[in-house]
Amino acid sequence: MPLLEVEGLKLRYQGASGEVRAVDGVSFSVEAGTALGLVGESGSGKSSVALALMRLRPRNVSHFSGRVLLNGVECSRLDEGEFRRHFRWEKLAMVFQGAMESFNPVLKVGEQIIEPLLQRRVGRKEAEKQSMALLDAVLLPARTFDRYPHELSGGMKQRALIAMALVLHPKLLILDEPTSALDVIVQAEVMNLLKRLKRELSLGILFITHDIALSSDLCDRIAVMYAGELVEIGGADGVLLRPGHPYTQKLLAAVPLLMEEKEPEFISGSPPDLTNPPPGCRFHPRCPYVFDRCRVESPPPFPANEHRARCWLLLR
Amino acid sequence: MLLTLAARAATLLGVLVVVLLLVVVTLGATGFSDSILQAVIREEMKGIRESLARTIRDPVQLETAMEGRRGELVGFYGLDRPWYYRLPSTAWRVVSLDLGEARTLRSFDGSARVADIVRERLPLTLALVTTATVITALLGLFIGVSLATRVTSRVDRLLSYLSAVSHALPSWWLGILLILLFAFKFRFFPSGGLYSLPPPEERWARLLDLAWHATLPVLTLVLVSLGSWVYTVRTMVLNTAQEFFVTVARAKGLPESAVQRRYILRVAAPPILTNLILGLAGSLGGAILTETIFNWPGMGRLYYDAVMAADEGVIIALTFIFALIYVAARFLLEVLYIALDPRVRYS
Amino acid sequence: MPREIWKVLLSSGSGRVGLAFFLALVVISLYVVATYPHDFGLSRWNNPAYWADNPKSAPPRWVNLLGTDTTPHRVWERTRPDSVTPAGEREARFYTFPFPLGPQEVPTFLSLSLGDVLYYTDPPLLSFRLGRPDGKEVSLFSYSLPGPRPGEVSPMARFQDTPNRLLLSRDEGLLRATSRFLSQEFGLQMGPPELLGKVEGVLFGIPQGEGFRPLQGNYTITVQVLAPDPRDQVGQVKLVVGGSSFGAMGTDAVGRDIASGLLFGFPVSLIIGLSTALLVTAIGAFLGMLSGFSGGRVDTLIQRSCDILVNIPLLPILIFLIFILGQKLWLVLVILVAFGWPGLTIVTRSMVLQLRSGQLVEATQSLGASRWRIMFRHLFFQVAPFILAQLIFITPSAILAEAGLSFLGLGDPSIPTWGQILEQGFRTGAVYVGYWWWVLPPGLLIVLTAMTFMLLVLGLEPVVNPRLRSRF
Repeated sequence: MPLLEVEGLKLRYQGASGEVRAVDGVSFSVEAGTALGLVGESGSGKSSVALALMRLRPRNVSHFSGRVLLNGVECSRLDEGEFRRHFRWEKLAMVFQGAMESFNPVLKVGEQIIEPLLQRRVGRKEAEKQSMALLDAVLLPARTFDRYPHELSGGMKQRALIAMALVLHPKLLILDEPTSALDVIVQAEVMNLLKRLKRELSLGILFITHDIALSSDLCDRIAVMYAGELVEIGGADGVLLRPGHPYTQKLLAAVPLLMEEKEPEFISGSPPDLTNPPPGCRFHPRCPYVFDRCRVESPPPFPANEHRARCWLLLR
Repeated sequence: MLLTLAARAATLLGVLVVVLLLVVVTLGATGFSDSILQAVIREEMKGIRESLARTIRDPVQLETAMEGRRGELVGFYGLDRPWYYRLPSTAWRVVSLDLGEARTLRSFDGSARVADIVRERLPLTLALVTTATVITALLGLFIGVSLATRVTSRVDRLLSYLSAVSHALPSWWLGILLILLFAFKFRFFPSGGLYSLPPPEERWARLLDLAWHATLPVLTLVLVSLGSWVYTVRTMVLNTAQEFFVTVARAKGLPESAVQRRYILRVAAPPILTNLILGLAGSLGGAILTETIFNWPGMGRLYYDAVMAADEGVIIALTFIFALIYVAARFLLEVLYIALDPRVRYS
Repeated sequence: MPREIWKVLLSSGSGRVGLAFFLALVVISLYVVATYPHDFGLSRWNNPAYWADNPKSAPPRWVNLLGTDTTPHRVWERTRPDSVTPAGEREARFYTFPFPLGPQEVPTFLSLSLGDVLYYTDPPLLSFRLGRPDGKEVSLFSYSLPGPRPGEVSPMARFQDTPNRLLLSRDEGLLRATSRFLSQEFGLQMGPPELLGKVEGVLFGIPQGEGFRPLQGNYTITVQVLAPDPRDQVGQVKLVVGGSSFGAMGTDAVGRDIASGLLFGFPVSLIIGLSTALLVTAIGAFLGMLSGFSGGRVDTLIQRSCDILVNIPLLPILIFLIFILGQKLWLVLVILVAFGWPGLTIVTRSMVLQLRSGQLVEATQSLGASRWRIMFRHLFFQVAPFILAQLIFITPSAILAEAGLSFLGLGDPSIPTWGQILEQGFRTGAVYVGYWWWVLPPGLLIVLTAMTFMLLVLGLEPVVNPRLRSRF
C-alpha cells in the first residue's frame, strides 16, 4: 500500500476576475521511503496541491473535492479538529517556500520547533532533548535552539525548518521550493541532507519545484504539472531521458547545459489564464505538435514507455 | 542588548539636556533668571534679617549689615555678571527645583516654595493619566482584537471614520461637552474638583467620592484616545494575521487560541507599543487641558493657574518636570519594546 | 499625477465630504478677509466700547424657536427728527420710536446715543418720555448737553468723532422719575436704590403681588430735543431698547457678537494650519530626502537631531516659551514648525531609503543621472503623494495646538481665535452656568475643521497606501 494516494484532487478559488481552477483533477501516489518530484512553472498549481494536502485552504476557496489517503486512511473525510490533532504535522508535515517568513520573529527557533511536542504534553526536558537530536540531524549546532530567526542565515533557517517539520516524526514530508532562495552551495547541502533523511528515516517525500534538473537529484519519480493538471508522471529516469509529453520535452530543453554547445530553448507563449483555461488539451496553444483533436478533447493519461503522459500523440 | 538600551538612554538624556538648555538660555536672555534670583535673595534676606535683628539693636547698623550681606549674596549668585556666566548654576537650580517661592500660588498646606507645590501635585496627575491610559489600553486591545477577527469592509470604513473623528477631537472640548451634559443638564457627576465640600470623613466614603469626581475627567481622556487606539490595534493585528508564519503555525497543528496568542498578538505587540509611544506626548498635553477644565488639582491645572497668575517660578519647574516625566515614560516603554521584540536588540 | 489625486479623492465618500467641507472653509474665509477690517482684533473685538450697546451673555435669536421666550433687541438710528414744532424762539424736535412687547418680553436696558452735534448759542436740551399701552405716560429723563467752554467760538461742535452714550437704566434722574411714577400711578413706594437694576421691569410692567409682571402691548418712546437756535443740528440719535437675545450666535459676557468672532476665526485657523503644515512639510521633506540620500555624517547629524527633537513634549515647551517670550501668533507658528519638522523627516527618510535600494534608482544611476537629479525628479514623485497626505495631516494638529494654547490663556490678544473665545467662556464660568452658545460653537468649529482635514487624509489613503487600493 502506498504511503500517500491522491485521487482526483480539485481545488478552485474565487479570484478577482473569476473562479480560478488551480488544481483540476490531479491523481498520484507516493511510496514510503521514496521521493516524488512535482515539477511545474509558477502558477501551475503545484503549491496549491501541497496546501490542499495539508488542508490549509485559502479563505476564498470555492470548490474542494477529491480523495486523499494516508496509509490507507481517508483523511480528506476527517473533520478539521480530528485532522489537526492526529494528522497535521504528525503524519504529514510541510517545509514551506520562503524560509524567511516561515518563522515567528519574536520567538526563539528552538521554542518554535518544540511547540508541537509541548502541545502533545511531552515534558519540556524531553522535548528539548528531542529537538537537540533533530538539530543535530540537520547539521545545525545545538546553540541554534536559543537563537532568534533573524540571527540565522538563509541556509540555516531552511535546515531549521526541516527540523521543525520532522519534530513529530511524520511519515510524509512535503517540501515546497525549499531551495529557491539559497545559493547553489547551500542548495547542494540541503539536497544532500534530504537524501540522507529519506534514506535513514524511510521518509516519503513530495518535492515541489520549478527546477526539473534539481528534482532529478533527489526524486525517484517525477510528476509534471501544467495549468492545474498532471500531464506526465513516471520514474525519474524515464521522464527525464524519454519524456512523453511535449511540455516535459520543452522543460528539459530549456535547461542550460554547461558542457554542450546547444543553446537553451524557450517555450513560446505564456501559461493560460486559469479562470478560463483553453478547451481540450490545455497545452495546445503552445505545443509545436498540435493537431485538431488537441483543441477539442482533453487527453486521458496514456502509457508512454515506463510512465504515463496525457497527450494525444501517444494514442497508438 | 545593553548597548542598545544605553544608546536609547543616552538619546533621552540628551533630550533632557536640550530642554534644560532651552529653558535656561531663554530665561537668561530675557532677564527672567535675574528676577528669579532676586526672589531667592529676597527669601534669604528675610531669614538673615531675623537672625541679625537678634544681635544688632541699632536700626542704622542693622541696615548697613543687611546691605553688606546683600552685596555678598549678589556676588554669590552672580547677579553682578551677565547671564551666561550663570548658566550652569541656573541649570542646576532648575533641576533641583530650587526656584524660590511662588508669588501667589500655594500648596495645600500653605507652603509657598515652588518645589513643594509641584511635588504635591505630581501624584494626582500621575493617578489620573495612568488610570486613563490603562483603561484605554485594555479596552482598546479587547475591542481592537475582536474587530480584527470580524473583517468586513463596512466595519473597516466605520472604524476609519471613528478614528479620524477621535483624532480631531480635542480632549478639552469633549470635557466641556461632558460637563454641560452630565454635570449641568443631568446632574450625575460633579463638574470638577477633587472631593466634595466638605470631603467625607470615613476612608471608604472618601475614596468613593474621589472616584466619583474622577469619572468625568478619566472618561474624557479615554474617549479621546480610544478611537485611534482601537484602529491601530486592529490594523496591526490584521497585518500580522496575514503574515506567512501564522499559516505555518496553523500547519504545525497548533490550536487557534495558541496561534492568536503567540503568533498574532505577541508579534503585533511591538508596533502597537510603538504607537503607544508616539501618542504619549499627545496624552500629556491632553492631561494638562483636561485637568484645567475639571479643576483637577494636578500639575496640568497648576500650569493653568501659574499662567493666569504669571508665576514664572512654577512654570519653569513644571516645564522641566513634564519633560522629565515624558522622558521617563518614554524610556520605560522603550525598555518594554526591547523586551518584546528581539530583532532590535542588536542594532 | 495631480489628476490621479483628484480622482482618488472624489471616488471615496470621505474624500468627497472632506473636499466639500474644505471648500466651505475656503469660501467663508475669503468672505471674511474681504469684509472684515484687518485689525479686527484690536479695533473691534477687544474694544469693549464697540459692543457697549449689545445685551450681555445673551443667547442667539433662534432660541425662540426652541421654546425659550426672549425679548428682541432693538436699535434705531435716526439722522432726522420725525416732527418739528416751534416753541417760541426755540425748536422742539421729536423723535418717536414705537415698538411692541410680547407677553413675557421685558427689555434688559435702555440707552441713548447722540452724535454729530452742532449748536450756536446755548446747548440743546434733551428729554425722554415713555408711552405705555395702559395709557400711562412717564416723563423720564432730562439732560442738557455740555455748554460752551470759555473762549469757544460759535458754532460749538460736540461728539463729532465718538457719539455720547448715555446708559439710561442707571441714570439717577431716570430712577427718581420712575420712583415718582410708581407712587403717583400705583401708590407704591420704592426709592431709587431699590429700583437700580430692576427699573425696566417696573417701566414695562404692572405691579403684581410682591413684584411686577410684564405689560404686553404697544409702547412709544419719544425723544425730544429742544434746540435754542433753529440752525442747531443733532446729526445722529440712536436709541437702544436692550433685548435678551441677540444675533446668530448670541453674545458673551462683554456683549460681543459671538458670530462675528467665530467668522473671523475661519481664515485665521486656515492660515495657522496651512502655513505651519507647508513649512513643516517643506523643511521636513527636504531634510528627509537629503538625509536618506546622502548617508554618512549628514545623515547621522540629521537623524540625531530628529531623535532628540521628537522626544520633547510639545505643549509644556510651547507654554513655557510663549509665556516667557510673549503671546504672539507668529511666534507660535515658528515654534510649531521648529518642533514639527522631525516627524516628517524621519518618515521621508525611511521612504527614501526603501526606494533607494530599489531598482529605479540603480537604473537611473546607471544611465548617468546626477545625484541631485535623481533625488528630486525620480524619488520626489514617488514620495510626493505621501508628503501631501502628511501635509494635510499636520494642518489640524497645528490648529489644535494653537487652540489648546489659547485655551490656557496664552493666545495672541490682537488676533482672536476660536480657542480664545472658548477660553474666555471657560474662564468666566460660562460652562458652569450653562451658556452653551458661548462654549459649544467654537469647539465645534475646531472639531469640524480638524475633521475636514482628517477626511481628506482618509480619502487619500488609496494613493498613499497602494495595498488598500484594491478592496478585497
